[in-house]
Parts: sequence; C-alpha cells; structure tokens
Amino acid sequence: MLERLRRPWSDDRAERVLGAVACLTAIAIVLMVVFVAERAWPTFSHDGLAWLGGGGSLDSQVNAMVNTSAHPPASVYFLRAWPLIYGTLLTAGFAVIFGLAVSLLTAIFIVDFAPRSVQRVMTPVIRLLASIPSVVYGLIGILVLVPFVGNHLVTAGEKASVQNVVQLTGAGLLVSVVILTVMITPIMTALITDALGSVPRSWHEGAVALGLNPLRATIAVSLRAVRPAVVAAAALATARAIGEAIVIDMVSGGNAFTPKPQDGLIFLFEPLRSLASEIIDQSENVSEPALRSSIYAFALLLMFSGFMLSIASRLVRRPLRKYELSN
Amino acid sequence: MSAEKTHLQSPCTLAPQAKVRENGTMSINQLVFDPPALDPMTSAPLRAVSSLTGPERMRLHDISVFYDGAAAVKQASLSIHQGEVLALIGPSGCGKTTLLRTLNRLTELTPNASHSGTITLDGDDIHELEDTKLRTRVSMVFQQPNPFPMSIFDNVAFALREQSRRRPRRRELEPLVKQALQRAGLYEEVRNNLDRPALRLSGGQQQRLCIARAIANNPEILLMDEPCSALDPRSTAVIEDLILQLRSDLAIVIVTHNLQQARRVADRVAFMYLGDLVELGDAGQLFEAPREERTREYIAGAFG
Repeated sequence: MLERLRRPWSDDRAERVLGAVACLTAIAIVLMVVFVAERAWPTFSHDGLAWLGGGGSLDSQVNAMVNTSAHPPASVYFLRAWPLIYGTLLTAGFAVIFGLAVSLLTAIFIVDFAPRSVQRVMTPVIRLLASIPSVVYGLIGILVLVPFVGNHLVTAGEKASVQNVVQLTGAGLLVSVVILTVMITPIMTALITDALGSVPRSWHEGAVALGLNPLRATIAVSLRAVRPAVVAAAALATARAIGEAIVIDMVSGGNAFTPKPQDGLIFLFEPLRSLASEIIDQSENVSEPALRSSIYAFALLLMFSGFMLSIASRLVRRPLRKYELSN
Repeated sequence: MSAEKTHLQSPCTLAPQAKVRENGTMSINQLVFDPPALDPMTSAPLRAVSSLTGPERMRLHDISVFYDGAAAVKQASLSIHQGEVLALIGPSGCGKTTLLRTLNRLTELTPNASHSGTITLDGDDIHELEDTKLRTRVSMVFQQPNPFPMSIFDNVAFALREQSRRRPRRRELEPLVKQALQRAGLYEEVRNNLDRPALRLSGGQQQRLCIARAIANNPEILLMDEPCSALDPRSTAVIEDLILQLRSDLAIVIVTHNLQQARRVADRVAFMYLGDLVELGDAGQLFEAPREERTREYIAGAFG
C-alpha cells in the first residue's frame, strides 16, 4: 500500500486529486454561507433591511426574544442591529488607523534605520507578539486596563453625570480600541516589514543619490513600492479586528450602548458591543428561535463584511501594482 | 503663473548652453560633438583629443577611506575638470567604487566607514555642504540599472519633483523630462510610451533611463560606477557614445573594469591598485607609456 503511494503520480492523477481537494474547500465554504443565510432568513423576512438601522434599545429587543414559544409571533423578531454594527466599525476603525500608523513607522525604523543588532532582535520579537492568543490581551485588558481606566481616568463626577443612562466602569471604547490596536499591530508590522525588506536596496540608494534624505527616500520609493502590501496588511488586520469576539466581550462593558462623540471625553469611556461579541454573549440562548435567527444574521453580516473587505482590498491594490515588473 | 515658472527655473532648468557660457571659458560651439569619425579597424568613434578640458570643479586632497579602520583608499589626490571624462581603472576591490562613492558622500551610508582628507566642489568642502544638496550637484549612475517601479516619465521627473517645494504640474515637467531623455539618447525610443512601467524597458534602456534621471536637474558632476558591466556590447556602445556627448556639459567620473572602454571614453585615466592611486594621466599617455611599473603590468594583463 505504502509502496503504491510512493510511486510518482502522473500529471493527470495529480491534477484530479488536487483539484478535488480544492473543490471540496470551495464547496464547504459555499455550503456554510448557504446554511447560515438560510438560518438567518426569518430575521430578514420579518425586519427587512431596516434590521441594519437603529431604533430602540438593542438589549431589550434581545431580551424580548428569550422565553418565547417555539413559534414566536412576528413582533418578537423585531431587532435593530445598528448599535452592534456601529460598535464594530468604531472599534475596528480606530484600531486599524492607530495600528497602521504605528506599524508603518515601526517597519520603516526596523528596515531602514535600526542598527543590525536591533533589527535582529526586533524582527523575531514582533513575530512572537503576533502569535500571542488574543484572549491573553483580553485578560490584561480586563485585569489591568479596565480597573486603571475606571479608577483613575473616569472621574466620579463623570460617572454620576450619566449614571441614569449608562454605567462607566472603565470598560468601554477606549480600552477596546487600545487592546485591539495592540493585538493587530504586530501582524501588520511583520507584514509591512517583510515587504519593505524585500524592496531592492538599489532603489533606496538610487533615491538617496538623487539628493533625498534617507527617510524621504524610504517614503518616496520603498513605501510607495509596497503600497499593495500595506493595503493587504490593513485588510487582514481589519478582518481580525472585526471578527474579534472574546477580547471585545471582555473589555467593552456591559451593554450594547452606542458611544456618542458629542458626549465629549466621556465618549471614550462609554460601553459598546460588537457583532462578534454579541454572538458570544448570546450563545447560551440559541434555543430561542428568534434569537437564534438573529445570531445567524450577525454571523452572516460578519461573513459578508469579510468578503467585501477582501474584494475591496483587491480592487484597491490593482491600480497600485501597475508599475510592478510582474502583473 | 509667472512665480511658478521662475521657481521651477531656479533649481533645475539652467539650459546647458547657459551653464557653459556662465563659466566664460568656452563656447558651446567648440564643444558640439561633430558626427564622430570612425576608427577603420573597430568602427568605434575615434576620441576627440582632450583639449576640451575646462576649469577645475572638484579637488580631492589626501583622501583616505576606511572600513572598520582598514584603508580602502589611501591618500588619493586628484582633480576633476569640467568637460572631461575621468576613468578610474584597476582590479576589483582596489577602492575605485569606494573613491567614487566618497565624491557624493554615499560612503556615509555605510555604518562603519570613515574618511580623512578633504574634497572640494568649486572650492567648498563637500562635508560642509548639506549632503542632499551635494547629491543634486554630484549625481550618480550605478552598476545595476535601478529604475524605480514607476512610469518612465515619473522616473525622470523624480528628482525634479522632490527638489521643488511645490508639486510641479506635469505640463511644466514635460519639457524638462523630454530634454533629459533626449540627452540620454532614449527619447526617440520611448516618446510614445512615457507612461509605461520603467521596469519593462530592456537593460540598456533602463541604464539610459537612469542616466536621464541623474542628469534631469543638470548636475555638475556625473559619477558612473561601471555603468555598462550589466549590459550587452550593443547597449554598451550606445552608452559610451552618450558619455562622449554628455561630457561637454559636465564632468564625468567613470569606474570601469574594461580597459578598452576606458581607452574609448576617457580623457584622463587614474589607475588604482590596492587602495593606492598609482598613476594619473592623459588617457593616451597612461595606456601607451605608463610611468609606473604596476600600471604597465596591469595594462599588459599581468594581474587583475
């Protein structure tokens, strides 16, 4: 038997076997999407696209779905998911913006400015950071950052001023964004560092020889050349930030509030909920038909945004690759 | 509008004619390269005799360059004149490229390099000039063609754009880019494809593009580090012709391993061996009647 396997495969056979495996993967993904969409259907058939909008308290809408009969009336399906979408966009958006800035600067430093010894230490350390399970970041967030923010940054006056609307415990937007940023920055830095490192030194040297200072040469030539890789890294990081469930659930506070910029500084401390963390939160209630359908709808939206992200990043990258040698 | 124009004029658009006249030492007519007479044996253009050499632009005084304390160049002194081609020849690893890269302070990018001695450009110590300013006046072409991953146009316009405070419009850059490409002998081949990726050009075209990029804002000195070593003989011949034509406007220092090439393009030749500047002389004299034993042996093919 083993002998037979070790015999070289004909091209024909290799093509058939590898093709079958690839098709299986594709079929699995399609089946999953269909399944989730089918399960989410009741929610959309009752609420329509208004489901994506806002209106009322999401928490009480969700609570109304618990302890209903096996065939709940249509009114139970009422849900307006905007607070979750807003929370997801807010946390992921801020985290990616800050993370991108930090990782670009770090990568430029490592590749073009750091002495060899620093380079040799930092490159593997950043890869190590990228491989830390996200729940560890969440743990640090809930045990260290949330109490710190709650005790030292939010004043008693601020807490009292909004106590009828929302509890400011320290868990909220600020800590969520900080933890998410810390979580996605290493992988972005690693990807951008790799890309910058593979830019031919002769381009940078050529730009310096034309009278640019080294930083300007990096920005005008090297960074310009790796724009597609930066976009790809940002898309990957965004996908990770949008899909992060546990960490947000741990540090984002107790309810699906929508932090309001017009509240001033308190905005940073207001609690929120993301799509992914709401799925975690409600996973014990999946036996409730209306709630189960809503959870599938959250999942479908997450999948959809993942696909959109991937398509958008391809569309953005295409014109940027126009002048590459191979395209 | 007029303010924009004058701003662009100042850093980068001194026409070559104006520049030569400014120096007051020669008229452009003297320098115009007549269709080169051909050598009956090799059908290569015969060199004009080096009576064209203009005023001194750069002077090196006792330049030594060290890597980790080991001298790569030992107390070299020489001068570089406008309108000449100075070739640095010698075996590999004898300091030619290091010496060349000292002239635009590119050696400073190597962390463990240091130097002693002085280099002046028009009387000013180049280490007292800002390095970025120096490099716009002393430009460089590298051994491997290194066009940027941009369009042909953007490559040539690169330094022009970077050196102007306000981002110039394409319409303003077009004549300058065209002029640079013409001087580099590439314009006719790419005139309809200025937006093509530069990396899709052939090796010889890429190197001429790099020359166009290097001369686009009219440097005074052009350094060339074995510019033909990665190219085929045909492209090499094209670039050698180009060197002969370009030298009327600037001083060219070229490092080459190829003695035939040095003989074809150089007005003066410096022979370097193990970091020493062994001999410096007119091309004819150095090749026909070298004064130093080591030069004689190298030229005769004894080593290197």
